[in-house]
Amino acid sequence: MSFKFNLKKRNKAEEIRSYNGMTKLQWTWKEVLRNKTAYFMLAPFFTLFVIFTVLPVLLSIFLSLTDFNMLEMPEWQGLKNYIRLFLEDEIFILACQNTLIFAAITGPVSYILSLLVAWFVNELPPKIRAVVTLVFYAPSISGQVYLIWKTLFSSDSYGWANAVLMDLGMITEPILWFEDAKYVMPLCIVVALWTSLGTAFLSFIAGFQTVDRSMYEAGAVDGIKNRWQELWYITLPTMRPQMMFGAVLAITNSFGFGGVVTALCGFPSVGYAAHTIMHHLDDYGGQRYEIGYASAIAVVLFIIMFGANRVIKKALSKVGES
Amino acid sequence: MKRRMLQKAICFVLSVTTLLGAFGVSSFAAGETERNTNSGSAATLDEMRELLGLSSYADYSSNHSSSEWDKTLSEIELDVTRLDGDGMLTSESEDCLKSQEADPEAWGSFGDENWDSSVYLPTTNADGSKAASATWHFNLTEEQTGLYYIQIEYYNCIITDSLYGKSSVSAIQRKLKIDGKVPFDEVSSITLDKHWVYWGEENMTVSAPTEVTSKDKYRTPGTYVYYETVDNKKGDEIGQNGYYKHSVKVYEDGGKLMKVTTTFKMAQDINGNSLTPGLIEESVWSTYICKDTTGYHDGYFTFLFAEAKEYTITLEAEREPMIIKSIKLVPATGSDADIPTYDEYLKAHKDAPRASGAITVIQAEFPMAVSDSSVTPSNDNSSAVNFPITAKAQLFNVIGETGFSSVGQWASYSFTVNESGMYNMSMRFMQSTLQGMFACRTIKLAGGEYGLPDGSPTVPYHEAQFARFNYDDKWQSEKIGYYDENGEKHDFFFYFEEGVEYTLYVECSLGDLKDYIERAERSLNNVNDCYLQILQRTGSEPDKNTDYLFYESMPEVLVTLLQEAEELNNIARSLEALCGTKGSHIATLDTVIRLLRTMGTDYGENIAANMSNLKTYLGTLGTWINDSKQGVVMIDSICIVPADSNEELPRAKAGFFKSIWFEISSFIYSFFTNYDQMGLTVEPTNDTDTVAVWFASGRDQASIWRSMVDADDGFTKNYNTAVTLKLVTAGTLLPSILSGDGPDVYMGLAASDTVNYAIRSAVIGVSGNDKKVLTEDQNIVFRSYIYENSAGNRVFIEIDDLGNSIYRKPSGSGYTAMTSSEVDAFLANSESYKLVSLPYDEIRNSFAPAATNTLELLEVYYGVPNTMDFSMMFYRMDILGELGLEVPESWDELIAMLPVLQTKNMSVGVAYISALDFMMYQMGGNMWKYTDSSVYDPQYAGSKIDLDSDIAIKAFEFVCRLYTDYSFPVSYAAADRFRTGEMPIVIGTYSDIYNTLVVYATEIAGLWEFCPLPGSENEFEEDGFNYDSLAIVTATVILNGCDDLVTAWQYVQWQTSASVQAEYGNRIVALIGPAAKYETANLDAVNDLSWTAREKAAIKDQMANMNSIKNYPGSYIYARYMKFAFLDVYNNGANAYESMMSYVPAINAEIERKREEFDLPTAETAEEALRRATEGSKN
Repeated sequence: MSFKFNLKKRNKAEEIRSYNGMTKLQWTWKEVLRNKTAYFMLAPFFTLFVIFTVLPVLLSIFLSLTDFNMLEMPEWQGLKNYIRLFLEDEIFILACQNTLIFAAITGPVSYILSLLVAWFVNELPPKIRAVVTLVFYAPSISGQVYLIWKTLFSSDSYGWANAVLMDLGMITEPILWFEDAKYVMPLCIVVALWTSLGTAFLSFIAGFQTVDRSMYEAGAVDGIKNRWQELWYITLPTMRPQMMFGAVLAITNSFGFGGVVTALCGFPSVGYAAHTIMHHLDDYGGQRYEIGYASAIAVVLFIIMFGANRVIKKALSKVGES
Repeated sequence: MKRRMLQKAICFVLSVTTLLGAFGVSSFAAGETERNTNSGSAATLDEMRELLGLSSYADYSSNHSSSEWDKTLSEIELDVTRLDGDGMLTSESEDCLKSQEADPEAWGSFGDENWDSSVYLPTTNADGSKAASATWHFNLTEEQTGLYYIQIEYYNCIITDSLYGKSSVSAIQRKLKIDGKVPFDEVSSITLDKHWVYWGEENMTVSAPTEVTSKDKYRTPGTYVYYETVDNKKGDEIGQNGYYKHSVKVYEDGGKLMKVTTTFKMAQDINGNSLTPGLIEESVWSTYICKDTTGYHDGYFTFLFAEAKEYTITLEAEREPMIIKSIKLVPATGSDADIPTYDEYLKAHKDAPRASGAITVIQAEFPMAVSDSSVTPSNDNSSAVNFPITAKAQLFNVIGETGFSSVGQWASYSFTVNESGMYNMSMRFMQSTLQGMFACRTIKLAGGEYGLPDGSPTVPYHEAQFARFNYDDKWQSEKIGYYDENGEKHDFFFYFEEGVEYTLYVECSLGDLKDYIERAERSLNNVNDCYLQILQRTGSEPDKNTDYLFYESMPEVLVTLLQEAEELNNIARSLEALCGTKGSHIATLDTVIRLLRTMGTDYGENIAANMSNLKTYLGTLGTWINDSKQGVVMIDSICIVPADSNEELPRAKAGFFKSIWFEISSFIYSFFTNYDQMGLTVEPTNDTDTVAVWFASGRDQASIWRSMVDADDGFTKNYNTAVTLKLVTAGTLLPSILSGDGPDVYMGLAASDTVNYAIRSAVIGVSGNDKKVLTEDQNIVFRSYIYENSAGNRVFIEIDDLGNSIYRKPSGSGYTAMTSSEVDAFLANSESYKLVSLPYDEIRNSFAPAATNTLELLEVYYGVPNTMDFSMMFYRMDILGELGLEVPESWDELIAMLPVLQTKNMSVGVAYISALDFMMYQMGGNMWKYTDSSVYDPQYAGSKIDLDSDIAIKAFEFVCRLYTDYSFPVSYAAADRFRTGEMPIVIGTYSDIYNTLVVYATEIAGLWEFCPLPGSENEFEEDGFNYDSLAIVTATVILNGCDDLVTAWQYVQWQTSASVQAEYGNRIVALIGPAAKYETANLDAVNDLSWTAREKAAIKDQMANMNSIKNYPGSYIYARYMKFAFLDVYNNGANAYESMMSYVPAINAEIERKREEFDLPTAETAEEALRRATEGSKN
């Protein structure tokens, strides 16, 4: 409905333009002048956005076509970096695989988990809700708190997990949890899920509270039978903006989950078992000073995230449909 | 019958052979244990056992009280010049003569008459390999037997030039032996204080004597002190602004009253922040009476000389040279006999009037002298009434941070009173570290009726050792005093006479706490023994479900646990009673008590479940003891309060509005503080003669560099060049180079980064032949001796391979050869020129080749080594001694001792990552192929990894076996396990582990040492073993874009030179404490750092056995794959050889790729060339 309305308006603008016999550029400039207050007010944000978001993206696309070592002038390379990335770099393929596994598990699971937990928490009386919200949100505000996993799964025989397992007689030598390719990935996924109840979760709680109570009454009149239907047909469609926000966060988090892995497993993780695209980027950018190549990796990551974003948008538009 | 005989005979023969065999074997074994100790820096088994057999003073002195010794004796003076060993007469010692010649002022108080009657006792023997020791012989007759104090009159000489160890910042330490044996534990290391003063010539002015007039405030003889802050708002009067102490001395001279004012100025930077004062060691004659350094025993040690015979007294050096004038045996009839009690003291002064009048205030941040270079004033802006204070800057206004909290440290103040009579003493202080408890200080006095004849201070009465400072998180202003058994406070009274100059010593002591802390420490040791005993039975992870039958196998452990729980409980309850409250500090003990009780009851069933808790709590208890010993008392001012004074003591807390105003103004000023200028004493100018130096470190380090650069003999004055020092965070360098705003010089760049930046031409090589990297002009700077005259003219002299000198002079932006007439003119005038820069080749010899090699690429050296760290072996002497194990000198020996250790559930800690590296080099391997420049073209070096060689594989397999077959733990907290004794041997980087253990594990101080790494068999070595450790180097580098290469190069030379490195290392220890040992790369500087003689010998020993992994393009790659390979073997039981070989191609591929990026010949080219060369030689 709203989409159609926009279309109509635009056609009308087009009509006026051709009527006045102006070129598109002249017309745009005229419009800009007419709305100069709006543009003026937009300017601070827009400048910052261009400098800190648009430019770096463009710059990294440019750099990805060069050979740049951070200290000397870049040299034009064409598509060589991309060719090497996809055809020669085995570790990049491994990193893609790890990233996708990681994103496919942590993204949806953490998203659904946030949603469900938010839904449950929302049902609690306000005072208790505030406390419980804090409990769930705490891991993500307190910075490096995930490092307690390092104590829990310390490789020392005095580490908690090792000590318990040794007590139970299941192992005799301590397991090097974060230095053993078998355990690295599952552990990182667990930690990622634990820290993921963050901002998305909070925005969901806010979303639940913005839902107009009268909608539920209307729904009940219209024949909503149970809480599930209430959730699907009323609650979720009403809070679509929050859900979109949560989804974007979930995507960026699950693809960009690098720092925690490095803090827990060291860099690079043993046998590249938890080596994600982010790590690969760090490896080339930070350790090997190959910024051109690192930019190519960043561009690929950008495209993957962008694609994922589109897919999620599509999926979210289906919420509330029967 | 015959058969029986035969049987008997055979039996006899057999038994004899068995016996003989046993003898043979044991004698063989004995022969084996007598090995050639080639390094000599590790302790021998005998030395370690001796440590175990030491008794405490309490045991030693238990029979002294016998009335037999209660007799009158007279003082005996030993003839100090009659001695054996390394001591020598001062008049015959070149060190003393040379040092006196170099700085006659420092030896001013020595006195000419002392040269022939005093003995110089250096730190080490001539080659620095052994601690120096001197032995005195003397005979006692029957009448002379008895109890004595040992009194030593000594001079803390400053030795500046010596083969035997120079002076550094630490106190003098000696080991005292009687008849070749340490009589009891406490004297195995005695500490003799040095004198330090803050006031150099630049900070002290003395006025000419003038006559006292009626306008003067002070008109009776004596020394009076007042303080003043000058804060002219105008910036151009910087020289006048500041914080001053004026000390007015009034004296009678020819019937006239004269006065002399000595003014001390607290040094400040251009923004008014106080600068850490440069401490100056002052040589003085002092008297030391042998006493306890731990603080547990007050009074002096009494020694029993029971028989009439010849005795020897030996002093063995641990730290610092010293000069001894006399050693005396002073009769001691009983301990503390010479110190009156407070009641006796008061009785003696009962006729003295109570003084009245004004309070004398002494600002504590201005002491006359201090015992230790770490006793420095500091800033505290937490209260607005601290004096002096300003919201604009950080002025030093208190003394007593953690650097002034160890037992025995003191600061002294002198004062005079206007009226004879009884005085109290008060302090404005803050004691906020020992929550719910108190800290103690000892008050000593000298002058008037107090102190020894030579001016050394004594306590006026017994109770003055127990001045108590209660806990409060705010400032307090209280009269000081002691508390009696009933918890009642008694303020101290002192009798001071008018006009007499007194010196007050505030000394850190344990006071009332000493018994409790000593008992707690004994408990800790007992519980630790229990822990080790249990551990030896159960291992570190006991099975909860196994009944270990502790009550049968080790009932004494259960009893001990309970006893110690009771003991600790008694301590905690008595402390509570003493303090009147139960603070969190004491509550810590309760958790330990609960655990010990749980473990000791129920037949020890709970022991297994609580083992890891016990380990944690042992650490907690150790820290508790440590903290209690080091109660921090910050003192703002000390007041001498007349007993009937009507004046009020200084306010403890600021008023509400004053506080608020101060907080607000501090907040506002914080926006205007330029933190880059911290410590700057000269306003920076935009001259070209400025070197921009960056480094990533702490503020303390920055302030030390700052003051060293600005000092009188510092860089700026010497080279006429200003330096801007900037403290940056690590990682700032790269972006700054990128943006062209980089510094000229960077200090402390890791070797791998140096080479990484070098291949990308961001760092300038300091020597080398490669024309592509270094221009001829640059090379001239790094290859020449540069002379400069006062007019700034420079002459560059390069000495070429044939030994000919090439003379050049700057012209335009380059250099031209000088004509022969110009050379002649220079040579004729050469004394007006000063040598200002050396060629790199000459500097290079001050460093281990292992260190300089890590900074080399393609025969160009990039930068000069700054720090060098490396692995060494730390061992617990008490545990190895008890187990009868020698310190292993080779890996075979280490492995041979594992069964003994492991049956006791002990292990050896080696970090696998470093072991993988050094083992390969010890076995004669190398990380890279084609490195031997005598065989291969240097451009091929590092083109291929050598991890697939036989030696590398052998080393890798060996290291893997250590962790798989010999169960070395892969992951462990080294300091924790070393402390509990679970890991009596730990191998790790020496500065890290040393610095951790020194502060963290004080209860095992003296029980551990470190020595070079065990060796691996290596056929290329003379003795068949290689003990190499690998150097981890950071460098000082010159960055591309530096405009004045000569000055930058001068700075690099200055900063890495031995004297500057040693001074920096000593000053950082002085400022931060013994846990800030600096790992300098300069081999000569190590001699002058404050290590003990043994430690120094060990470090130098390892420095002679160094190697390093060179850095090439792509060198980041091997470490990760070696780690992967190792973890593969450890986690999955993979075959070591296969695992390593599977990663070699990936490593080589990455190296090849990197080399292509930089247009270097790849391995393929190298091999092709080599093949051609061998074919060529065949034909």
